[in-house]
Amino acid sequence: MSQEQRAKDPQAPDPSAWVDEHGDYLYRYALFRLRDSALAEDAVQETLLAALQAYANFAGRGSERTWLVGILKHKITDHFRRISREASVPQREDEAFVDENFFRTEGEWAGHWRAEQAPSDWHASPVALVEQGEFWLVFQNCLGPLPPRIASAFVMREVDGLTSEEICEVLSIKVNNLWVMLHRARLHLRHCLELNWFKRPTDAH
Amino acid sequence: MATGIISRATHALRYFLLRRLPTCKQMSVVMSESLERRLTLRERISLRLHLWICIWCVWYLEHLHIVRDTLRARAAQTDATDTAAEPHLSLEARTRIKRTLGSNS
Repeated sequence: MSQEQRAKDPQAPDPSAWVDEHGDYLYRYALFRLRDSALAEDAVQETLLAALQAYANFAGRGSERTWLVGILKHKITDHFRRISREASVPQREDEAFVDENFFRTEGEWAGHWRAEQAPSDWHASPVALVEQGEFWLVFQNCLGPLPPRIASAFVMREVDGLTSEEICEVLSIKVNNLWVMLHRARLHLRHCLELNWFKRPTDAH
Repeated sequence: MATGIISRATHALRYFLLRRLPTCKQMSVVMSESLERRLTLRERISLRLHLWICIWCVWYLEHLHIVRDTLRARAAQTDATDTAAEPHLSLEARTRIKRTLGSNS
């Protein structure tokens, strides 16, 4: 469609205006879940392309942003699905991530926390943490070392609150497998956050 | 005097439980799954007893909830507001996306 035609037709979508109006919003939404700026940019682009093609179905029903976010959600899920499929030998990748040894392996207290790895009091509240920009950097860095499948399972569960069934469907795994993945993610993440945020040497938070 | 005996007895009971009950490693799995499903009665009892004697696991469970609540609060916040000064689509990406959209319309 040429510029002239578009100007004459008030029903025609204006994708360039979408980028200006909703681009940042969609980008932040995607970035928080995909944790990679290039992937997030691609997701925004794919979303707007799909929106352009499906514009006839939308035709001004409801909020434009809600509609676009709906498409973006699908794009993000597709990405997670792809990650899972591309891990051709899925188990191997996950096993390459070695859990740190948080628990004693021998002696009277085998199976209990090692004193230097044991949880301590965080004196923290979610309400306050949300506001601290630096905390989110630490958080992103802590998610980094996790295998992509484990990280995406964790994000789908804890950020989006998807049900076990939904996540298992996306990643083509069994529910027991999912629980093991979430457990490993939590063990690692909790320790990493404690080390790099709650027990930082400066203690200036 | 009486309190001394009670505290010694409590100490002994805790020690006994700590030796007999599932370990922290085993409980960490149960605690994670408590966020995923309803625990069985047996699991709930052993978790309750374990948390009575192990402050480290009390904190562990608390941390799992803090992480979940913080992430969900953050998600709700990013979804609701548009004013956050944080990450913006770079000018470069913005231009590229506009160009791609233009050539596809």
